[in-house]
Amino acid sequence: MSPESRTRFTVIYAPELFERLRWFAQLRWLAVAGLGFGAIISPSLGLTEARSALLLVAIFVAIYNLFFQWRLRAATDYLYENLRSCAIRQMVMDLLALGITVHFTGGLESPLQVFFVFHMAIGTVMIRTSIMYILAASTGLGVFLLYIAEGWGVLAHHAITGSAAGGLDRQLNMWALLLALFMVVYLTDSVMSSFKRHSIKLFDTSAALSERSEELTRLLAEMRELEQRKSHYMKISAHQLRSPLGTIRSSLDVLTSGLVDPSSERGKRLLAGASERVDGLLTIVSALLELTKVREGQAKAPWAQGVSLAQVVTDVVDEMGLHAESRSIRILSRVDPSLVLEWAVPPDLVHAIGNLVHNAIIYSNEGGEVTVIAERRGEQAMVCVRDEGIGIPAGFIDQVFHEFVRTPGGRKQVVEGTGLGLTIVREVVEAHGGTVSVRSIEGEGSEFCALLPLGWAPAEHLQSLQGGNE
Amino acid sequence: MAKKSILLIDDDPIFREAISAVLESEYEIRCAENGTEGLRKVDEARPDLILLDVMMDHLSEGFDVARQLRSDEEKKTIPIIMLTGVDEFYNVRMEVDESWVPCDRYLEKPVAPEILLEQVRDVLA
Repeated sequence: MSPESRTRFTVIYAPELFERLRWFAQLRWLAVAGLGFGAIISPSLGLTEARSALLLVAIFVAIYNLFFQWRLRAATDYLYENLRSCAIRQMVMDLLALGITVHFTGGLESPLQVFFVFHMAIGTVMIRTSIMYILAASTGLGVFLLYIAEGWGVLAHHAITGSAAGGLDRQLNMWALLLALFMVVYLTDSVMSSFKRHSIKLFDTSAALSERSEELTRLLAEMRELEQRKSHYMKISAHQLRSPLGTIRSSLDVLTSGLVDPSSERGKRLLAGASERVDGLLTIVSALLELTKVREGQAKAPWAQGVSLAQVVTDVVDEMGLHAESRSIRILSRVDPSLVLEWAVPPDLVHAIGNLVHNAIIYSNEGGEVTVIAERRGEQAMVCVRDEGIGIPAGFIDQVFHEFVRTPGGRKQVVEGTGLGLTIVREVVEAHGGTVSVRSIEGEGSEFCALLPLGWAPAEHLQSLQGGNE
Repeated sequence: MAKKSILLIDDDPIFREAISAVLESEYEIRCAENGTEGLRKVDEARPDLILLDVMMDHLSEGFDVARQLRSDEEKKTIPIIMLTGVDEFYNVRMEVDESWVPCDRYLEKPVAPEILLEQVRDVLA
């Protein structure tokens, strides 16, 4: 056995051996009782000299058993080497006591010989096999020497006779065998049930580990993807910021270098353009900050319980009324007043739904119609914003929720857009456990929908929600 | 002698205006606001040089334009200067085709007027 596997073996089996030793010491009190009982009935079996011998053996066993129990109770560590030598010492004492008992109860005819077998079985459970072979050989030698000594008259032979002569020794043999049979079954079952318990535990642990390992692999892949997305996002954000900066720089360069007179028509156009780009940059930076807030601030966000989605939608529609009117656009709304979200961040929801309605208005043609619908879909709320505006080209449908994606038509219609509005919508809806979707036909209009689970709770509020339901 | 002509393809009108201001004393400047319009203007009248932005409506729109021009027997000799960020130039080029350089040179945005002039003069010399 290598040192490592030896250490592992020791760590795993020391507590087990400790339990077995305690169990074995308790079992030994049965032997003490048996010896006491034997001492009482020995005269009736014709064993006149056995009484005092059996009593002495009983006292001897009781004393060393008390000693071992005290040692085991006092043990604070499961030092395997100590436990093992303790087990060997107990086994040797037991075999010695049993040998004396066998001598006084008939020698080789003693029905108690069967308990040698029982001890070998128990010993093999606790003690290293090589030592058990030595003990088995020693016991065999001891029995052989007893046989020789009794045969040659060196030791007295104490035969079992008793009143029912002829039958009694065979009867005793039978009872001893019966007792030993049950004890072996009890012993084996006790060892096996512990073994089975360990096996099941091992199986469960291994299954849990393999599940955990799969989970980790999946998480790692998710993290890699997230990292890639983040890096792409950083790249594209930098471009979105640098592009207007480049224009501002070029405009200022031609003005400061005297190529264009700042007070000329062209100079004024360039200055106004640069100023517009500055405004655009400020808008982008605000939107980026908003997006970052939604993405990272979920734990710190002002989550509120029992938020009326109907109220949020109605507020947004009211707020957008003036803006719509300025473009002669009519907003129609149909809101189910019973829609209440278990948990929500009201300002974020207002922002997200506001973005959808705002988009519907600015990408509509003048005089168009915008429809806002909030209705129940089973355990979820469906909020849809429909317009009859410029629509989205098929090639852009899958990308409109990505950062900075703008359609060519959208750029033309609304120059100052950031391409972040819909990303914010998606992030807010996802932070509320929901999903977003879009349907659109270029030139005919678009419909953006958010599906929000009514009973959803963010992780940190899940417990209080479950507690509240109980 | 007639002025040499430059086609400037960029989606930002103010940037186009500023670049025009730098170059128009020496060259005839025509502008296009996206790749499609740019290709059409090349068909209308062959320019002596194309100044080309990379990211317009699409991420690699400038590269698509350059690829089309370079695969056309008649137009592949028109010199192209790309105007873009260095990292964008490499990143986008990698995504399109790692080994392919679709232009004669590239200039990093924003480009100083004197450097732009110098580069343009050099290419058109």
